[in-house]
Amino acid sequence: MNNTFNINRFGLLLKRQWLDFGKIYLISLLVILGVVIGFYAWNSPSPLKLNNYDGDGNLDMRFRYGLFLILGFIFISVVASSYYALLGQKPRAILELMTPASTFEKFLAGVFYTAVLSLATYLILYYLVDLSFVKYINAHLSEFKVDGAKQSSMKPVESISAQIFSDENYRHYFLHFISVPFLITSVFLLGSVYFNRFHYIKTAISVMIFTGAASYLIFKSVNLLTRNMVNVSHGGHRNNEQLAFLLIFLITAALTLIFWAITYIRLKEKEV
Amino acid sequence: MQNYLAVIKIEHTLVYYLTNTVEMIKISNLDFGYSKHKPLFKNMSMQLSNGHIYGLLGKNGAGKSSLLKNLAGLVYAQGGSLEVMGFNPAKRQPALLEQICFIPEEFYLPPVKIDSYIKANAPFYKNFNHSYFAELLKEFDIPASNKLINMSYGQKKKFIIAFGLATEAKLVIMDEPTNGLDIPSKAQFRKIMASALTDERCIIISTHQVRDLDNLIDTVIMLDENDVALKASVEQITEKLTFKKVKELDESIIYAEPSLSGYNAVMPNYHNEESKLDMELLFNAILAEKTKFKPLFN
Repeated sequence: MNNTFNINRFGLLLKRQWLDFGKIYLISLLVILGVVIGFYAWNSPSPLKLNNYDGDGNLDMRFRYGLFLILGFIFISVVASSYYALLGQKPRAILELMTPASTFEKFLAGVFYTAVLSLATYLILYYLVDLSFVKYINAHLSEFKVDGAKQSSMKPVESISAQIFSDENYRHYFLHFISVPFLITSVFLLGSVYFNRFHYIKTAISVMIFTGAASYLIFKSVNLLTRNMVNVSHGGHRNNEQLAFLLIFLITAALTLIFWAITYIRLKEKEV
Repeated sequence: MQNYLAVIKIEHTLVYYLTNTVEMIKISNLDFGYSKHKPLFKNMSMQLSNGHIYGLLGKNGAGKSSLLKNLAGLVYAQGGSLEVMGFNPAKRQPALLEQICFIPEEFYLPPVKIDSYIKANAPFYKNFNHSYFAELLKEFDIPASNKLINMSYGQKKKFIIAFGLATEAKLVIMDEPTNGLDIPSKAQFRKIMASALTDERCIIISTHQVRDLDNLIDTVIMLDENDVALKASVEQITEKLTFKKVKELDESIIYAEPSLSGYNAVMPNYHNEESKLDMELLFNAILAEKTKFKPLFN
């Protein structure tokens, strides 16, 4: 018997965790679905509304970017923050820790449910709602009016996914920020195993304090390092956007791995 | 190759511990406490073997539950070593976890049907005995179609006991198992536990209600003042001590408690008299006169 990882045991563990985690997860997913549909129904352009256009004269769907990011953040962070929350309650913690699976398998199950499943279901759910509304709007394009007159060549609306995959700039951003959602889930997963109560609030406050302190330190040290110096640029302004994006990707990926490693250690050290 | 050898080693260790009468649990110089300034165990050593039902007794806060948690790997020792079936329980390895049935005093059961719970949890225990589980449920009078959330505390407790025993785990650890059980259930519990003891199994039961364990345990372990105050089989105790009712106190009596018709007394068994162990009296006697008992059992 392999005491670190066994694929059958891991499968059993995922199945077992679903028994506890599944119902709450599905309910949260339904809530999210309701909120997304509600926002789309309220904000999407409609022939019955007067103001349907953005500054470029296209049908205005700009609300969906903010909605996607804010709702996505709330959903994945809440799911991650609740996963190991049960370890804060003695009776539940005993049941979890005494389950014959290795700590590594229990950790991997946590990563699967919080980083893989929650993210994938959110993306699929949002994609489906967005696509449905986009299809509906495009099917009724001829009914939209500009200054009281129907337009013969109204530009169809694109779904978010189509926008990302058809535009090189979007693809570029998307690829470099791909670790950010994993970083969010890893931080809140660590919070769920680190704190015994009020996991979400305590994690959020800790993140704010650390981010604030880190920003202050970076700002101060850069200020100190560049004091009494002048900017010398030969050959004009150099745009280091590529390097910045690469650093964003590398730093977020490294932080994610570090937070996961700490979560594993905390899980191993957990006492009841 | 190294991984393969490690697997072989674990399997050999388990087979050895499960097929021989050996010390299943070895506690050597254990130090443990929830705060550095207030240790619960200091230099505690003890060995427990398979084929026995141990009764773990002690005052509130003596460390009964903490000792059980140490054995199950739920807390970590600060010093010394702890070995359960050749494993360090702190590592929480699946090979050991599937051989431990831990029934805590406070427990949680998910809001699902018995059937779903079994489907999700039983496969982790390769020796899980489904027919034995059904038998135990019948014995405890719990309908198999019940939803766990709708059951009373006592029924839930009987359910986890039935599940734990059906795992066929070799080490059964129970913390206050009779709390919340009604009188008929306590009798059922004693009957089931007596039949659950096999040569391969080691059962440790911690309780305050010593009368619930009458005729069930074969060895008494008493904790007091950071250490084991007494560890002796019922046979050894009744060989060395006699428990009887007396009208008047005399010098031979080590400890006595007033009763309606005189005194319940504990005294050395100089004449090989046969008497029934009064666990409650012994418990109070050890706590009150520890120094007088120590030479008898060392």
